[in-house]
Amino acid sequence: MSSLLAAVASNGEPLWRTIQQPLALKLAVAAGGLALIAAQLWWFLGRHGHAAVASEGERGLQEITITVDGGYSPARIRLKAGQPVRLTFHRLDPSSCVAQVIVPDFRRSLDLPLNGRTSLELPAMQPGEYPFHCGMAMVRGVLEVV
Amino acid sequence: MTAPPPAAPCCHADGLASAPYDAERELARELTQLRRKVSVAVVLTALVMLSSLPFLPSWFTSPWTQLILTTPVLFWCGRGFFSGAASAFRQHSADMNTLVAAGTGIAWLTSLFSTVFPQLLIAEGLPADVYYEVAAVILTMVLLGNLLEARARGQTSEAIRRLLQLQPPTARVLRNGKPVQIPVSQLVVGDLVQVRPGEKLPTDGVVSEGSSWVEESMLTGEPTPVAKAAGDAVIGASMNRSGSFSFRVSRVGADTVLAQIVELVRQAQSSRTRVQRVADQVVSWFAPAVIALAIAAFVIWFLLSGNPVLSMLFLVSVLVIACPCALGLATPTSIMVASGKGAENGLIFRSAEALETAGTLRTIVLDKTGTLTRGQPEVTQFERLPGGALPADSLLALTAALESRSEHPLAEAIVAYANSQLEPGDLPAVTDFEAVAGLGVQGVIDGQQVLVGTPRWFPELGIDTAALQPLVERLEGLACSVAAVVVDGRLEACFGVADPLKPSSAAAVAALRRLGLQVVMLSGDARRTAEVVAAEVGIERVIAEVRPADKASVVARLQEQGEGPVAMVGDGINDAPALAQADVGLAMGTGTDVAIAASDITLISGNLAGVPAAIELSRHTMANIRQNLFFAFAYNVAGIPIAAGVLFPLTGWLLSPMLAGAAMAFSSVSVVSNALRLRRFRPTPLPVAAS
Repeated sequence: MSSLLAAVASNGEPLWRTIQQPLALKLAVAAGGLALIAAQLWWFLGRHGHAAVASEGERGLQEITITVDGGYSPARIRLKAGQPVRLTFHRLDPSSCVAQVIVPDFRRSLDLPLNGRTSLELPAMQPGEYPFHCGMAMVRGVLEVV
Repeated sequence: MTAPPPAAPCCHADGLASAPYDAERELARELTQLRRKVSVAVVLTALVMLSSLPFLPSWFTSPWTQLILTTPVLFWCGRGFFSGAASAFRQHSADMNTLVAAGTGIAWLTSLFSTVFPQLLIAEGLPADVYYEVAAVILTMVLLGNLLEARARGQTSEAIRRLLQLQPPTARVLRNGKPVQIPVSQLVVGDLVQVRPGEKLPTDGVVSEGSSWVEESMLTGEPTPVAKAAGDAVIGASMNRSGSFSFRVSRVGADTVLAQIVELVRQAQSSRTRVQRVADQVVSWFAPAVIALAIAAFVIWFLLSGNPVLSMLFLVSVLVIACPCALGLATPTSIMVASGKGAENGLIFRSAEALETAGTLRTIVLDKTGTLTRGQPEVTQFERLPGGALPADSLLALTAALESRSEHPLAEAIVAYANSQLEPGDLPAVTDFEAVAGLGVQGVIDGQQVLVGTPRWFPELGIDTAALQPLVERLEGLACSVAAVVVDGRLEACFGVADPLKPSSAAAVAALRRLGLQVVMLSGDARRTAEVVAAEVGIERVIAEVRPADKASVVARLQEQGEGPVAMVGDGINDAPALAQADVGLAMGTGTDVAIAASDITLISGNLAGVPAAIELSRHTMANIRQNLFFAFAYNVAGIPIAAGVLFPLTGWLLSPMLAGAAMAFSSVSVVSNALRLRRFRPTPLPVAAS
């Protein structure tokens, strides 16, 4: 660690140099930066597209396949209240973070083998939002029950 | 908060047994790959760092050599970060991969630019420096952190792995009268299994022949071996000590005690604490917020200094110092380790919330019968009364006939006593039988009206109990419950029934008081009887003469009086409403029933010593979680501004992006390592009871 610090200290001096930049460039950088901030916030935090609707099978069982690759696709799933659900996860992402999916409201967890399809059945639900996420809660999805 | 919907039924038997092994194999594969990548990255990164030394040949220090060395570090060793970031981006999500890929990618791209077009920078009056070592060191550090974290994470689920390994792979069963060795998965209910000394039991069953001592500590936490003879229930994965016996299989696969324990622990590990729900919210907007801050740092430093290289270094530092992983890992890892640790000690936590609340309890209500006492009452006194007219044996026969219709534990004791005194024979027939809850039973036998019940009952029926009073006082002083017999309105006799204390009760109560809890005893017995028992175990506060149906409202009243959070400890069947009403319901198991529905915590062994142990474990766990959350939050809250250069104008101190990367890599390692400290938890041992 200390060698790293030393390396920085010796490099530090020439780095700290003020360079006169034209005002127009400064304004452009500021505007570009703000635009970039707004764009990434919109991209990552905004709501995109509609919730996917699960298909309905025998005896009212709602079914949907969720692809796990960097995230859940679809990540927003609309379900009908009062009918059981089967979620099938198809994991393509080798990252161990997504090897487990958790539905905390139902105390259910599921290990997802790589390149495999694994199903999870949930009982009929009351209307509301039920999140599901990976073991560390970084990758998230939500069941929208209406 | 709304109550969670009931947990769905257990998954399939095969899924239960195979899933953890798959996860384990995958973790092993991941570890091998990570190790290979880390070794390559370390070698290449060391070469990149060497190339900044002055005395080496110029071809070695050339930016082009560094480009050649760094590129595979990023795009082979660190391929996963970039592909992960790309697919997350397509899904509108940003995570750890996004931050690492953006940070190292920007450092690499800037360096590539000054390698290819150095004259453009020199024309601007800037040194044409390259920062390949920044990209390479950050990536190597993060990979190394991932490796350490994956190794540690493997250890958090060690408890479940150990539980699953308890089950022997094969069983010796009688098929067509001959013993054959078969895989455990082929066992069916009803099979007759032979067990020799020193062998593990393959599944649950009931002893049919022979006897032995069996060690159940791995499942119940109880250290002493248990005697087993014909008719006794045995549980799979327990260890047979000395004798040989055979048992009839009663449960296989997912129904066994072991499988239920594993499933319950997995359920608890999948649930979230209240505090984690907050952290989860933070994590979901964390990465986009950090990206915004990083861009803002770049813009501000560019406006202040006009120096794009300096601004870029701040941008990279902010991106790579932030660690959402540490926040996401803070609680689940502690819960994983703690619930496994609980299972090792025979304490099954049903949810993370139970683990969270148990440590905050202020009042603990102990049901007397079956919790403090053995729950198997015996008649210790049988007293005739002066006004009685019937001979002893016909009186006993009448009482036994009536009481054999009742399911009350006292009735069972009286029937057992009568049977031991009487010649074997048929009991007289009872008509017009009626049980009055909490008071007694009545019926007509041979034309006589017979009542058996608590002396409290009789005055309201117009029967004078004055003659009974001194006797009742004496018996209650001996911690006996009193049942009197009235035939045709005439007091005939009374029984003193005592329920012996469990040997560990007094020590467990003392331990609970040491933990600062107010201990309350709840009993359906007469006040005096209850007080004698309470005094024996050291409880001062007694709520006596409570009918079974009123136990839940007693708990509710304590909660209303602000004595909460309140825990109720009971047997899980009769006490189910009270267990559900309490903030934490603890059910005393019997070793064979694990999934007691109303309880938040099940003590498999039925030993009261598990209650203080559960509370201690909860307190340790919550302290551990608070430390983790503090580390994770404080680290990010302090680290990000420093990386953004807040201190730079004051101290001239610039945090190297490499150090930022190292700090990030090790913050999640430190969280997981801290959680693993819980593996060393041992409940404070209770002093051995004198009896």
